[in-house]
Amino acid sequence: MEQALLRVHGLAKGFQSGSEQIPVLANLALTLNQGQSMALMGRSGSGKSTLLNLLCGLEHPDAGVIDIDGQRFDGGQASDRRAQARRWADLRRQRIGVVFQEANLMPAMSLLDNVRLRARLAGRDDQGCLAWLERLGIGALGDRFPDQVSGGQRQRAALAMVFAMQASLILADEPTGSLDRHTADDVADELFRLQADHDCALILATHDAELAARCGQRLDLAHPSSSSSPSTSSMRSTRSAPADRQQ
Amino acid sequence: MTLFAAVFSHYRRHPLQLLALATMIVVATMLWTGVSHLTYQARASLGQSEQAVAERRKVVRLDGQSVAVADFVTLRRAGVCVMPWLEVQRPNAQGRVVGVDGLAASCFAGAGESAQAWNQPLNGKPFLDIRDAAALTAGPDDRSAELTLLAAEQVSQAALPAGYRLARFSLGPDTGELGESFLLNLDALGVLVLLITALLLRSVYQLGLAQRRDSFALLHRFGVSPVSVNRLLVLEMALLAGLCVIPGVALGRLLAGLLGSGFGQALDNLFDAPLYAGQAASWLSSVLTMMAVVMVVCLIDLIRPVSRAPVTLLAGQRRTLALAVLLFGVVLALVASSLVLVFVAVALVFVGAGLLAPVLMSGLARRLARAAPDPLKRWHFAEFGVLARRLALPLVALQFALAMVLAMQALVTVFEATFDEWLSQRLAADFFVEVPAGAESGLAVDWLANEPQLAASGDWQRVVRGKAELRVSESEPGQGVDLLAVAPVGRLLTQWRLQAASDQPWQAFARGEGVMINEQLARRRQLAVDGPLTLTVAGETLSLPVLAIYPDYGRPAGEVLLNAGLLPAAFKPGFESLSINPGNLDIATVVSGLQRVWQVETVTVRDNERIRELADTVFDQTFLLTRAMTVLTLILAAAALLIMGWVFFSTRVWYYRLLAVWGLRDREVAGQMVRLAVSLTIGIAVLALPLGIWLTWVLVHRINPLAFGWSLPMAVYPAFWVELIGLSLVVGLSIAALMRRQLQQPATMPASASSLAGGER
Repeated sequence: MEQALLRVHGLAKGFQSGSEQIPVLANLALTLNQGQSMALMGRSGSGKSTLLNLLCGLEHPDAGVIDIDGQRFDGGQASDRRAQARRWADLRRQRIGVVFQEANLMPAMSLLDNVRLRARLAGRDDQGCLAWLERLGIGALGDRFPDQVSGGQRQRAALAMVFAMQASLILADEPTGSLDRHTADDVADELFRLQADHDCALILATHDAELAARCGQRLDLAHPSSSSSPSTSSMRSTRSAPADRQQ
Repeated sequence: MTLFAAVFSHYRRHPLQLLALATMIVVATMLWTGVSHLTYQARASLGQSEQAVAERRKVVRLDGQSVAVADFVTLRRAGVCVMPWLEVQRPNAQGRVVGVDGLAASCFAGAGESAQAWNQPLNGKPFLDIRDAAALTAGPDDRSAELTLLAAEQVSQAALPAGYRLARFSLGPDTGELGESFLLNLDALGVLVLLITALLLRSVYQLGLAQRRDSFALLHRFGVSPVSVNRLLVLEMALLAGLCVIPGVALGRLLAGLLGSGFGQALDNLFDAPLYAGQAASWLSSVLTMMAVVMVVCLIDLIRPVSRAPVTLLAGQRRTLALAVLLFGVVLALVASSLVLVFVAVALVFVGAGLLAPVLMSGLARRLARAAPDPLKRWHFAEFGVLARRLALPLVALQFALAMVLAMQALVTVFEATFDEWLSQRLAADFFVEVPAGAESGLAVDWLANEPQLAASGDWQRVVRGKAELRVSESEPGQGVDLLAVAPVGRLLTQWRLQAASDQPWQAFARGEGVMINEQLARRRQLAVDGPLTLTVAGETLSLPVLAIYPDYGRPAGEVLLNAGLLPAAFKPGFESLSINPGNLDIATVVSGLQRVWQVETVTVRDNERIRELADTVFDQTFLLTRAMTVLTLILAAAALLIMGWVFFSTRVWYYRLLAVWGLRDREVAGQMVRLAVSLTIGIAVLALPLGIWLTWVLVHRINPLAFGWSLPMAVYPAFWVELIGLSLVVGLSIAALMRRQLQQPATMPASASSLAGGER
């Protein structure tokens, strides 16, 4: 049996609002192997972004365990929070690439310098960074600053960054949410193509059913208000996507 | 929700910004009102003093003898309108009083003058009826009492009987334009403070406005016209200014009250003009002025005609323009002949430096970013360039404040050191013995000269102070100057530092072959070493060369140093003392010897230390105002940069969080914040150093001689540089600490469209 890249169980997270504790995720479980992709679906506020933040260590879970790339992270009042934070930072630096809906680039640096920075932080050689921009069709724009290119071109540059760092897990939070349909399709095509080429895992939070259908798995997160229990989530396989390897 | 509430809602969400803006308005108003209030008082006091001590004319005898009651009778019988004026030394060194004759002054009324004009305090010398003043004299031979016969305006030389002539008479020292220059100095300080606070105010307001542009765009999409939004902004600012300016003015007047005693001391010491309390600029004018300043500074962009597009210059053009302005200012400061032009030069240099500093910092950052092989270093320099441009206004305000503090600190310190050295030379003797009223100093001189122990181990000299007339030309009446006569010329005198001197000046002075003059007199009359000087002392004319020019600090009056052996017998000293270093002789022995020869029971003996303490107190009081204003301005500028830095960094939290998303550990991200904030504040402090050093030079070599009549040596104090860089370090670390707190909270994605597109670069 193949070793899972990511295994999550019993994951819970809530937020304090005044004196009230608002649960967002509870008792969540998922497994993702290398080369697989998963779509996170759910209405706004269902916890998609929170889950992505938990999966890259930007937030700490109230409970549950995350096993990622052979490392275990415990939620709750873990005594080694600082050590965990350091291990998460190392993972993000070298193994996990995160793509947000917007603002993935440092505004004062050119597209190429952004990609170089990300590659160097991951400890990779930055010689091939321009090639990555070229593969994504924006090689000629490498010297431009983020405000000098279109939204789609910025997102392509963001993708170039995660591939230049050779991420094994890509967490994408509505990466095409702010783009027009045509550009969104182009960016998504590039994302799935490169994910397949490089055999990395992908978790994609999206509202777009068509996009979600291109992922091998789909996790539906229920809106907390739609159920007495926030833990409601269902996980199922979508039709086998070309990018996904056989499970 | 009304439209106003929608526009104002930004401050509901960011109350700290509103608080910062309100604080800026209050403090700016307070500082400016404080300075302008004191300037107003000073202007009124100097005006009043000038009116009282305005130069008049007196009748003197052609034979040089002092006038007496018989001369008054002769002149009145000849129909000449003269008034007796008797200046008397009060007992126990309580100052001098002036006795005037109200009856005799009645003939002055026809010339638009009145004896009532004298009924006001002057130099702490109240006017008395001449009978009361005469009662204070020690008798007809009291040499400290001096009778003058003032002539009315209509009296001409032709109307005088034979044996008399008209001469100038002035109570105050010849200050020339110094009073106005001093006021101009205060005005300049007020303008500088206002400029710095205006920059800070504008920067805080502009930052808030930049964050509100998205809301305004939204309102525009909802059908609200930009003109309506602008009107609401004007209303909002008018309300805020109205609420903040009034307490600011009140605090400013309170500040002026707190600083008033020190300021009054300065005015008194520098210009012999006491500060009259109760003369205040009107509330309304202060409030309206500051309201106008606040409105213009914050809303100038709104009142610019729509048809006129703002002039935009490329970075290169801006740099060239800034450099040209700066260089022009530097050259102008070198060649300017008036104080106004020097201030214009200072303003130009500040404008040039203010325009150049952010351009230099961001330009340097761009070069370093290009050259850095490490992408993270490249990011650091690129981000530094963004911050330098975006925080240009508060950075420049801090640069100005730092330069001002540096210059003021250097000026005060160099003055303190120079003044201390000068005072040590003047107070070289351990003790000073006043010659009592009616006593003959010659007896004391004989006794001291014949005291063998004193001759062997000590030093002494006779010091005489009085008045003389400096004759510029035969046709013009003489000009009153202070006279300082000393003899014998010994070690107590020859250690004086001289600014310019002929060959072996002290030897020539000891032989009575010349005089020395103070810097003030040399500057005002453009006198030089070896040049001739004609003095009228007690009716006798002395024509002697100038042997040397000596520094003389803290007062504007011209002074001539003369060998006391040259004093005519008829000379009446205003004050006479003996400076004594007793050496092996006990001072008590000296005092008892003097008591014996003078046949008095007590003599007044002062020791050097006591006088030095008094001088230090006066010095501290004199600079209380400038020290307080500069330190307050620096605190304000530092606090403003802290607030601005924090607020602006907050708008970039998302990008700093990206570093954490990309795997930098919290400590590494915090380190990047510290490096950015500290390099920014240290950078501006380093750029403030040359400006501060140049301003020091302008203060000591250009402004001080023009405003006060004396110059100071130029000195730099690297310890102050370290202090200011330390302060900048603290501000930078504080910004970084605030940012670290911000980074620990969840970051929201940049909201504005321009931010998303990377417009914040």
